[in-house]
Amino acid sequence: MIHIESEPWRAMLSHARATYPNECCGAMLGVIDGDTKTVSEAMALENAFAGAQAARYELRPEDLLAADKAARERKMDLIGIYHSHPDCDAYFSQTDLKNSCPWYSFVVLSIREGQFHHANSWLPNFDQTEAAKEELKYE
Amino acid sequence: MPKVLIPTPLRQFTSKQDAVTVSGATVGEALAALTAQHPDLRKQIFTEEGKVRSFVNVYLNDEDIRYLRKSDTAVKESDTISLVPSIAGGSALATPSEAQPLSKDEILRYSRHLIIPEVGIEGQQKLKAAKVLLIGAGGLGAPLGLYLAAAGVGRLGMVDFDVVDFTNLQRQVIHSTADVGRKKLDSAAAKMQAINPHIEIVKHETALSSENALDILKDYDIVVDGTDNFPTRYLVNDACVLLGKPNVYGSIFRFEGQATIFAYQGGPCYRCLYPEPPPPGLVPSCAEGGVLGILPGTVGLIQATETVKLILGIGEPLVGRLLLYDALGLRFRELKLRRNPECPVCGDHPTVTKLIDYQQFCGIPHAQPAQETQMNSGEIDVTEVKAKLDRGDNFVLIDVREPHEYRICNIPAAKLVPLGEFPRRVGEFDPNAEIVIHCKMGGRSAKACAVLRQAGFLNVRNMTGGILAWADKVDPTVPKY
Repeated sequence: MIHIESEPWRAMLSHARATYPNECCGAMLGVIDGDTKTVSEAMALENAFAGAQAARYELRPEDLLAADKAARERKMDLIGIYHSHPDCDAYFSQTDLKNSCPWYSFVVLSIREGQFHHANSWLPNFDQTEAAKEELKYE
Repeated sequence: MPKVLIPTPLRQFTSKQDAVTVSGATVGEALAALTAQHPDLRKQIFTEEGKVRSFVNVYLNDEDIRYLRKSDTAVKESDTISLVPSIAGGSALATPSEAQPLSKDEILRYSRHLIIPEVGIEGQQKLKAAKVLLIGAGGLGAPLGLYLAAAGVGRLGMVDFDVVDFTNLQRQVIHSTADVGRKKLDSAAAKMQAINPHIEIVKHETALSSENALDILKDYDIVVDGTDNFPTRYLVNDACVLLGKPNVYGSIFRFEGQATIFAYQGGPCYRCLYPEPPPPGLVPSCAEGGVLGILPGTVGLIQATETVKLILGIGEPLVGRLLLYDALGLRFRELKLRRNPECPVCGDHPTVTKLIDYQQFCGIPHAQPAQETQMNSGEIDVTEVKAKLDRGDNFVLIDVREPHEYRICNIPAAKLVPLGEFPRRVGEFDPNAEIVIHCKMGGRSAKACAVLRQAGFLNVRNMTGGILAWADKVDPTVPKY
């Protein structure tokens, strides 16, 4: 189960609204306790996809490395990655799957006409062939 | 000992340690030592065949080892190794390449590609979905245009504003004799479309400039630089860095060529290699220095190979390596290139964040209207030189070209003193005499005029346009080269 606290959750939504109609992306930091992941900080990262960003995003490995470093410095864990799907559902697309990694939770925010609609969290498998839905709670 | 930082989700396999110190002289050895200590990590990082999983990037300190020596990269005691997944995605249900089915005709046409496992249907669809821009439809653009069209690159853009000239035909094999006088874009597009009617060719009939470059380049995935001058080379480089597009670079001179990929994910750019342009006139162009006609074929096809590899995502791209080709010795050499963290364009703290005036950057004065140049008191028109010769005026005409050029064509009254010998032969001339100097086009003779004026000569003039202007305006029997 992944639980996103209200402050990071609000930050993620406002980030997704700000980049609409383009996709946004970022890292989620917090603590992992057994099966429960608690996100206490959202870190907005740049969408580095070279091309139309309405339906694509790309994280620079350097930015992810920096997010991991920031988490270590604050005694937190890098728990997952979030990104938005403007004007479509929060499914885990083939594009998402093929460019994912089984180590992290992937939270997808559906933004319709600039407003938050719904969200899902996904756990991709090793071979990047499918992703399981993870229970998501937010405040 | 070097340490490996463990990403949070993997700490369950390392007894909750967030970093593991390991032995090993290289990154490969260090990772092997890590998975030996913690066998459950192995599956997370390596495939069953023992390759690092496709989503894992290995960083040594701040650098991706792909741009160092990969798993052979040496590690020091104080080094830190990080495992960073590559992550991307998006709502797009399929990447564009997956949305481009091949027709029956295309399957037949590309069959020799389709049966290579590394290409296959999927690779050919990537080629079809690819958008590649060729800067220049000349020596390098010719083989690039022909082969990339044949390979099935779906959209091929070309930037050029020149017309086909007889002197192009020795190497620009995309143009034929009947095309002389025709726009290079029209001539090239006709050949490419004849080879492959399935692709789209976009003609950009313009000189690439700081004003239009970003707008033209933004719609393409890959830019291939086939230009022959420094201002455009810096312009293409900077625009590619700003837009995050790879720049497949090639250059040629006489018997030597260079190729590499600039501005590719973390790799160096042209300015990392050459932060400053050479002084104007120091490096001769092909028009001034000549080029073996076959050379652009070799170099252009290296660029074409790299372009296709980038599109397919296969092999080892020519990133961080400058390939040097010497046709006379028939040898290839490689120089390592590194991104310069201080680079003004692609460095950590860039100072060039938009396109600049590249003519000025390269020290080239903006082109002046021809009439203004002729009115310059240091210049003399070819027709006036002819009149002086006919009248039997008392003056000295000097040709500062090379002896092999003199043998192609000359003005019989001219005395040959190659520019390289000029400074030490100044004593041969009378400082009070009237002197006119010429070369092929007027560039070298302008330098010779400056040498004489500096030596105190008072009456020195440069024959505008050189022997080419002489051939145009005075004596049409003189061959142009």
